Amino acid sequence: MRSLTVHLKILIALCVIIGVSVTAYQIYVLGIPVSAEETDNLWNIDAKVEFRANAREPVKLQMFVPPLNQDYVSLNESFISNNYGVSVNLRDDNRLVTWSARRASGKQTLYYRLVMTKRYSGEQVKAKGPIYRESLPIEGAEKIAAEALLAPIRQHSADVETFISEAIKRVNNTTDDNVRLLLGGDTSSERKADVIDVLLSIAHVPMQRLHTIRMQSDIAQSPELWLRSFNGEKWLYFNPQSGAQGLPVDRMIWWIGDEPLVNLEGGSNAAVTFTLNNSEMNAIRLAQLSSENADAGFLDYSLYGLPLQTQQTYQVMIMIPLGVMVILILRNLGGLQTLGTFTPVLIALAFRETQLGFGIILFTIITTLGLSLRSYLEHLKLQMLPRLSVVLTFVVVLIAVISLFSHKLGLERGLSVALFPMVILTMTIERLSITWEERGGNHAFKVAIGTLFAASLAHYLMSISELNYFIFTFPAVLLIMVGFMLAMGRYRGYRLTELFRFKAFLKD
Amino acid sequence: MLGFGLIKTWRELSAKGIMGINRRNADYVLKYNKRSLYPLVDDKILTKERAIAAGINVPEMYGVISTEKEIEKLDTIIGDRTDFVIKPAMGAGGDGILVIADRFEDRYKTVSGKIITHEEIEYQISSILTGLYSLGGSRDRALIEYRVTPDPLFKSISYEGVPDIRVIVLMGYPIMAMLRLPTRQSGGKANLHQGAIGVGVDLATGLTLQGTWLNNIINKHPDTSNPVAGVQLPDWDGFMRLSAGCYELCGLGYIGVDMVLDQEKGPLILELNARPGLNIQIANNSGLTLRAHAVEHHIADLKRQGITESVEQRVRFSQSLFASSPSQ
Repeated sequence: MRSLTVHLKILIALCVIIGVSVTAYQIYVLGIPVSAEETDNLWNIDAKVEFRANAREPVKLQMFVPPLNQDYVSLNESFISNNYGVSVNLRDDNRLVTWSARRASGKQTLYYRLVMTKRYSGEQVKAKGPIYRESLPIEGAEKIAAEALLAPIRQHSADVETFISEAIKRVNNTTDDNVRLLLGGDTSSERKADVIDVLLSIAHVPMQRLHTIRMQSDIAQSPELWLRSFNGEKWLYFNPQSGAQGLPVDRMIWWIGDEPLVNLEGGSNAAVTFTLNNSEMNAIRLAQLSSENADAGFLDYSLYGLPLQTQQTYQVMIMIPLGVMVILILRNLGGLQTLGTFTPVLIALAFRETQLGFGIILFTIITTLGLSLRSYLEHLKLQMLPRLSVVLTFVVVLIAVISLFSHKLGLERGLSVALFPMVILTMTIERLSITWEERGGNHAFKVAIGTLFAASLAHYLMSISELNYFIFTFPAVLLIMVGFMLAMGRYRGYRLTELFRFKAFLKD
Repeated sequence: MLGFGLIKTWRELSAKGIMGINRRNADYVLKYNKRSLYPLVDDKILTKERAIAAGINVPEMYGVISTEKEIEKLDTIIGDRTDFVIKPAMGAGGDGILVIADRFEDRYKTVSGKIITHEEIEYQISSILTGLYSLGGSRDRALIEYRVTPDPLFKSISYEGVPDIRVIVLMGYPIMAMLRLPTRQSGGKANLHQGAIGVGVDLATGLTLQGTWLNNIINKHPDTSNPVAGVQLPDWDGFMRLSAGCYELCGLGYIGVDMVLDQEKGPLILELNARPGLNIQIANNSGLTLRAHAVEHHIADLKRQGITESVEQRVRFSQSLFASSPSQ
């Protein structure tokens, strides 16, 4: 007995632990939304390329597009162009789309569209990059100016990180003569980046340029230049204007390197405009999309992997254990008397089709009429099977009549009674009448009320859409329920009604 | 404040050792009663055959009808007996039982004085066979047996029907007993939930204690208004031995043994119940849990010493331990 108890405890603990941890994993690691109402940002990025094609010349346009190994999931990517061949290649860390056409003339417009979300991104690959490089050649006055600049930078810095940000700050101080000399009168961020590059190269610190897009809708923007350097562990990002470190979360890297965004052959006046807009999307829908597009596949083995129609069936089915648990609690803890063990759950399911209020009325009417028929049949001394058949037929006719009446009265509800509740009704009538005979009318009435109450409560809980979503999305919750049911299996305390039943003991 | 009152009630009940349904199921029925042995107690014919083989007294079986065709044999089974009982073998709660007290011309007379025809009896048997009264509605057999004539002792405290004696037996040790008296409300049936009275019985002496009726404590029979307490049951030790012996008979560790006292044949076993009710506690004003624990403790002791007790020893143990104080 003791070993059985230990065994059971371990089993319960196992069920609950697995249930809780799988659910927690789904929520916290996979980021599956806890509620169906949760929404998430969906970004729609359009890059519109316009240029004038030279007549009688083949056109080839190359443009960088964002690499796909970043911390977002691309849901959809499209290249919209008329009569152009499209190919996408990888070059170093970048992706390059090439549009090409044998013959084109006049104004040309090409589109690149990316739909992406920040959520549900997969694990990041480990960053790697160069940590050393040769100095860039530099001579004369520039060399002296650079060295003059470098001395205080060295003094004010402790490591690569502080060195770079100090260097950027110095270069941005345009009142400094050395800086002015190096910039040569050009204060654009590209020129500054070049100077920073030179300074860093003298200290053998590698540096890369990168061009980012700001994730903000409805503002005109062009790619923004940032710098980054690898410190042996991770990439450090710097703003070339302010020296601030760290890439803001709303930036997305479009391409890396010194090359221009667009490279056009056989045309002129290439211009790229970016349009971003964000839309909110139901989070679970988004999760499904991401799962399809990224190889994450975290929803593959969930119930969302089923065909849509099957999903709907499961959405009903997966709530049945909850209904059963309600009955379990009401019966074993409360001591409520119901008709049979799971009849209330079946009735609760039938309520799905009729709606609660109407369902209760319908059930009461049909059961009452059915019971009177049943008691009349009792006088005829029929055997069980023929009697049941007569009752079932009667129930069918009754439902048909009620449907007809309510239709004529303009109440479409009456039509909602489907095939399923019919058999349940018949069985309810039969069992109720047996209870009536064996235990008397009082008891039968009590049992009928108990059944209706349990069914209504079960129906209410089973139809809460938040709960339905939660259990459907995190089926491991069922394991927690099983743990509870197992624990109930060895509950020996009193039932609520027994406290009243045995009151007689406490009178003396 | 209701919640607080309930907790108090809970505490007091468990201090008294009152057994609830959950505890009965988890600690006794599930633990001591092997499912495979249930048919033995659910089917009265099997119980009877076992009992006869073991030499335990039961009402004599006249015959069994198991198919519609065999209903024709009814006449030969009855012979020229004037009184007999027809029962479903797997009936529950005393349903479907037909008690014929006498013959009247070509017809039969039930105990309540109703005259019925031979056809009606055949219909009743046919209903039994289709499973109308059996648990779960499965096909059943009809049992025709000796009609028990209750001892005249019970005349003053029962209404029609046959009073019976229920003893709860744990592993062969009787732990609580109750006399069940039919009332007008129960329609002559001795089932408590149908309105019969339960009267506690002192295990040591066989003297009746207070009564319970529909979960209340009562002292008088509602139909005859005679006091139910203080009645000495005859041959009490016989009842005790009979019930204790039922453990060996069926192998179930926690049973309710239903017995009757026949005018001529003395104590007889009627049927066994694998899920005996809990109202017996109210009738005895005592909790089953405490008594059951005492017996379990005793059995564990004996097991350590490697002793198994005989029926006599078990009865003596129970009687010494569970004697109630003289009725108030």
